[in-house]
Amino acid sequence: MERSKQTEEHAAAWLLKRDSGHWSNEDAARLAEWLDTATVNRVAFLRLEAGWEKTSRLKALGAGFARGKVPSIDELSRSIAPASGIAELFPQSRTRGAMWAKLSALAAAVMLAIGTGIFVYTAGPLAGDRYATPIGGVASVPLKDGSSVTLNTASAIRVQLTDKERRIDLARGEAFFDVAKDPARPFVVRAGAKRIVAVGTKFSVRKEGENIRVIVTEGLVRMETADSAGSLLTAGAIARTIDARIAVQNKSVPEAEDTLSWRSGYVVFRETALAEAVAEFNRYNERQIVIQDPAVAAIRLTGKFRSTNYEIFVRLLEDTFQVRAHYTDDQIVLSGR
Amino acid sequence: MQSVGDSLDTWFKREVLPHEAALLRYLRRIWRQSDEIGDLRQEIYARLYEAARKSRPHSAKAFLFSTARHLLADRVRRGRIVSIEAVGTSDALDVMVDELSPERRLSAWQELRRVTYALNCLPPKCREVIWLRKVDELSTKQVALHLGISERTVEGQILKGMRLLSEAIFTRALSANNVASTRSIDTETENGKE
Repeated sequence: MERSKQTEEHAAAWLLKRDSGHWSNEDAARLAEWLDTATVNRVAFLRLEAGWEKTSRLKALGAGFARGKVPSIDELSRSIAPASGIAELFPQSRTRGAMWAKLSALAAAVMLAIGTGIFVYTAGPLAGDRYATPIGGVASVPLKDGSSVTLNTASAIRVQLTDKERRIDLARGEAFFDVAKDPARPFVVRAGAKRIVAVGTKFSVRKEGENIRVIVTEGLVRMETADSAGSLLTAGAIARTIDARIAVQNKSVPEAEDTLSWRSGYVVFRETALAEAVAEFNRYNERQIVIQDPAVAAIRLTGKFRSTNYEIFVRLLEDTFQVRAHYTDDQIVLSGR
Repeated sequence: MQSVGDSLDTWFKREVLPHEAALLRYLRRIWRQSDEIGDLRQEIYARLYEAARKSRPHSAKAFLFSTARHLLADRVRRGRIVSIEAVGTSDALDVMVDELSPERRLSAWQELRRVTYALNCLPPKCREVIWLRKVDELSTKQVALHLGISERTVEGQILKGMRLLSEAIFTRALSANNVASTRSIDTETENGKE
């Protein structure tokens, strides 16, 4: 046997003994002596100790499983699904899709009670079909031209299809468009004074006050503000308006798609500041997370979470960072420890 | 010189061990006797630790690789091993001597993924025992009762688990690059007019 293996076995035996709870001062003295005998002993011990300490991180996952029951490899892998799970992106819930299809048929004057929110749809002075989602809701709407729209949480759109134009007004929130090709009828999304024009492509538009954010995952899109000629956006582009200006970041398509994980009910963070991550969670949940401590707000994290499962998120924060959560009826207040 | 509040042991765990995957890649590339890699790793660590007692190096990674290079050269000189290629100015070395920059360190979430991956690599019985011990925090005795096996078997599985986990976490593990994949070089351009 290799010499190093023997050393490692001794080191593991010491670690096991120390870990067992039966650990006397004499034991500690004997371990110290063994560590001092040879530096190879010490480095072997430190290495195993470091690995064993890191393994304690698994406790963060323990919350999701019954005590005494060991989760399967699949179950564990699912609970730590990678951030770039593109394959998971679009299996949109069929029941929801069907529900929204039916709703669009009713369109004219429908009253809906979803959860605690009531959504009223009237034909009003302007024609067109209207759709809206409650907080935490995600819904897909097929359009008559073959395109489809997916609405994110707390979002509302109006759809007007004419011979010359396919016009969508984004009243609030965020929507993803999968546009069927039709060169004769441009597909125009309006959000306030901004226009986004597409022919056949995939992109999302998010309204943040008067500003908007556009993410393109396929094809080509033209974005116009009130006083600019417009910017052409290609796949992977993430564009934001800042008043009349347009700032464009060019990313890879998978990265751009990460930002659209909400379509399958996830939020994805990549080295994101906690303040920003929390703002994102708050879009999906009535119960708001509040950060009291600037140091906590500055924590950066990477990961993928169910957007409506803020409890797991908060629990993970508590387990892995120096963060304490205080629960009130309508808030979760985060502070440093 | 040791700085206060950061022992040599802590330094070794935090600054040196994360480079183990890179070190092992290097050793495997230039050392033919693969059954000696484990011994080499331990000797390199021991030698580095000894040297760091006297003076803590500025760059742990550069120091780790120069320690490795010297140790391999010594071995060749002593004639114990002749099948070594390119000790010294290996091109492999040049690319690897960049420090882990702060943003390339693993976030807590990435660490969790790595450890979960390591756990999932364990043999089934061993995996069960480690989960119950580490996550559910059962004692050795409780684990034995829970699984209907002897305490001795449980201890054997923990010993095995400790070694396999370290191996998976430090050696086999995806490099920091793979796990982190923070593609943070964004080209922010402004077009449009005032």
